[in-house]
Amino acid sequence: MTVVVNTRDDFTLANFRRVSYGGEPVRVGARALRAMTAVAGPGPATGSAGRETARRARWPAPGAGFGGGHLDPAVVRGILFTRLASFVSGHAGVRPSVAERVAALLDGPMPRVPLDGQAGTGEVLPMAHVLAGLRRDDLREGEQEALLGGAPCSAALAADAAISARHRLGHAESICALSIEAFRAPLTAYDEALEGLWGDPHETAALRELRRYLEGTGTAGRRFHQAPVSYRIIPRVLGQVHRTVAAVEKAAAVSLRSVTSDVVYVNDEAGRPGGRAVRSGGFHNGMAYPALNALSAAWADLALVAERQVTALNTAETSDLPVNLVAPGAPGNGTYAYGWAANGYVEEARAAATPALLPGAVADPHADVLSPTFGAYRRELRAAECVDGVLAILALVSSQALFVTGRNPPQPLRPVLSFVRSVFPPIDGTGDRDLSADGGRLQQALGAAARTGELTVLDAGHGPAAVLAEES
Amino acid sequence: MTVAINSRDDFTLENYRRVAMGGESVTIGPEARRTMAEGRANFLRLLESDRTQFIYGVTSSFGPRAKLTIPPDQQRAHGRAFGFRRGNWARGFGGGYLDERVVRGILFARLANFVAGNSKARPDVAERLAALLDGPLPRVPLDGEVGAGEVLPMAHVMSGFRRDDLEEGEANPLINGSPVSAALAADTALQACHRLDHAEQIFALSVEAFGAPLDAYDDVLDDLWGDEDEASALAALRRQLEGASPDGRASAAAPASYRVLGRVLGQAHRAVTGAEDAARVSLRSVTDNPVYVPPGEGHPLGRAFSTGGFHNATVYPALNALAASWADLTLLAQRHVTALCTAAVSAPTGLEPALGGLVEEARAAAMPTLLPAAVNDPQDDVSSPTFSAYRRQARAAECLDSALAALAAEASQALFAAGRQPAPPLHDLLAAVRAIFPPAEGGPHDPGARVSDLAAALARSAVTGSAAFGISR
Repeated sequence: MTVVVNTRDDFTLANFRRVSYGGEPVRVGARALRAMTAVAGPGPATGSAGRETARRARWPAPGAGFGGGHLDPAVVRGILFTRLASFVSGHAGVRPSVAERVAALLDGPMPRVPLDGQAGTGEVLPMAHVLAGLRRDDLREGEQEALLGGAPCSAALAADAAISARHRLGHAESICALSIEAFRAPLTAYDEALEGLWGDPHETAALRELRRYLEGTGTAGRRFHQAPVSYRIIPRVLGQVHRTVAAVEKAAAVSLRSVTSDVVYVNDEAGRPGGRAVRSGGFHNGMAYPALNALSAAWADLALVAERQVTALNTAETSDLPVNLVAPGAPGNGTYAYGWAANGYVEEARAAATPALLPGAVADPHADVLSPTFGAYRRELRAAECVDGVLAILALVSSQALFVTGRNPPQPLRPVLSFVRSVFPPIDGTGDRDLSADGGRLQQALGAAARTGELTVLDAGHGPAAVLAEES
Repeated sequence: MTVAINSRDDFTLENYRRVAMGGESVTIGPEARRTMAEGRANFLRLLESDRTQFIYGVTSSFGPRAKLTIPPDQQRAHGRAFGFRRGNWARGFGGGYLDERVVRGILFARLANFVAGNSKARPDVAERLAALLDGPLPRVPLDGEVGAGEVLPMAHVMSGFRRDDLEEGEANPLINGSPVSAALAADTALQACHRLDHAEQIFALSVEAFGAPLDAYDDVLDDLWGDEDEASALAALRRQLEGASPDGRASAAAPASYRVLGRVLGQAHRAVTGAEDAARVSLRSVTDNPVYVPPGEGHPLGRAFSTGGFHNATVYPALNALAASWADLTLLAQRHVTALCTAAVSAPTGLEPALGGLVEEARAAAMPTLLPAAVNDPQDDVSSPTFSAYRRQARAAECLDSALAALAAEASQALFAAGRQPAPPLHDLLAAVRAIFPPAEGGPHDPGARVSDLAAALARSAVTGSAAFGISR
């Protein structure tokens, strides 16, 4: 399939996903070609003097940033897609042929974009890497500025984070519900009546998801008194994650369709298309990095609450479950040491939640404010990786608690339990296992699932997963 | 004037402002009295139906001893003992005290729990609570208030509350729940709205002083950027710059700090809206534990059950976002001061070196408050960080006020040196600045003390909502 872009409204999260993750090519549609032709023709983007200026203009060396690893090629595809949003309405003053040339880059190999050294005024530095393979010997006046200027990287980074975050949140909710079931926490903390009493749409969404996963579970055998705070507040903590994910989605949705070129060409007083040039600060995206900061903080807080639930499950005095969740007759310390391991992920997540603010550095008196989006994006990636680590531990500990007590969760939770056990079977004392590697695989599987949206059962039909399948 | 409350819908930001900042009293309206009386009667029927059922704090002990049951014949005495035999829970000390207006706001927010009958308490208890607003208010220390929920600060707030006649289930709704978060959010949101308004005026004055091209605030950008908060910021800047002279403006593009103004202020609009939303939702929320839900389908006696309502997860992230936004604006103000000093045709104020310290302090205050790492006990294993977030936001706001004061003084001086007047909407602002910080040939005398006065006036304006630097609207 091919994504056809005709107007700014075609720059949606769904189309971003198709182009970046799905690998689909992009075609510039007829309506966009007409709009670009109307502006690029009579407007100020033409003229021999302009062409001469453009030939002399300096294109930043793509090696200006280096180190720190590289952007995922899928995200680079997303940046190229987003770059076109400023072009299709004609506001960037770019000829249709240049836009088509940018779209054609999606049909070839992606350039490598280093993650370090990308904080400059606007996003010229990373864009020089992204467009390194673009033929530019015939660019006209204003076209180079339009290609390198604006804020397409912020839009793409926000979109990439938003798509993964929505999936990650869904998986977190299922794992938290699994933990509630494993702990046998009272269900009143997730009662429908709380929706009206708290009156917050995001907390309502979290409450509904938890109840959906817990539907059909019984009240028999649950503790009569209230659970630890970490179990009772989980809908409010997940509600805050809902809020931050919605904010990142909004930042992405707005940014994807924004025209952010440093100079935009608009109708002049006589109504001539592209007759007036407006120079603005569009190159600075002021919404993506705060949204990413908030998401990192939400992951860090979720990691901490998940760690507290791991501790509660592992502590027999709190949970009334077998000591260290050790299976009958099995040696070792069960899942106890995973509680310690979770601490490290929590601390790393909290470090990653340090916000990216406007950089303190100044490039020169003119370029006196720099863009922090790359920094915010990287911190969010790290915080997400850490919350995946703690969620993996909470999932395997919950699975173990159910295993050692011979219980199955309600039907809606069985797919997630099957997923967990397909990667990390319960510790039953048989075989020779590398529990560190097994935990790491579960974390990686959760990371991969955040991208795809699917918790894929890797090993259905074998071991404890088969037991679960038969009983269900 | 008196604010009458009848339902949760009366817990608005405007009523909060009237009570907390305006010093108005609160009366419990007849609808609320009726609802509470019904709620109390229904709750007692539920309790009498089975005094062995688990109702936290009523038939059980508190906190980590929640699994201990209280015999029926001891349950009334148990309710009164909370806060007496166990000792008052007020334990925090140091770090200064909450402003009295915020303590008033907490008392107001506390009543949201009561008016719909969810607190299980008699109307008399709510009226006694409202009456605290008419007397001297307790002092609430700022340090040591981080625990599960908000019991610790509420114990200070309720220190003067008479409790010797409380009945079963009436003590917990006084100190459980999260009214402190609601009040801290409301106090912050009301000031933040004013502070942002002042910032937009002062940055517009800076645009005039620098002679920056105006196309960076053009109305075509509203649609091209497509964000309502940035559109609001652009519109505010255009309002202040209406009638600005095209003469004498820089022909080349201005520094980035002038061009990105609409987008950075747009983020501040977003953060202020976030704090307002958090305050609005929190003010009318029922958050105590256990909560009583009146009779309904399948539950003819209603239900009393445990929840995590006492943990407000909305407010502290909103305050974090606001602190970060203030820090970014502080940096932007510093860049403007530097640009003005670089371009000044005659003596600058000499304030520029001081701005670096303010920027660093604001950035330190913008470090987010996360869920506290400390654990009290295995039951109370997550604490509330709202107090810390409130204090950091306040510190970041203080730094921004100082930076904006310096920017206003520098812009005034630059206009004075160039012999120019700003756009007409900025004349009052400029006059107010010059009344405190007069411009002078060769630079003003004692600029540090004068800009400190400017900053103090700006901070007062944020609370009162008066025009920047205290000119009445």
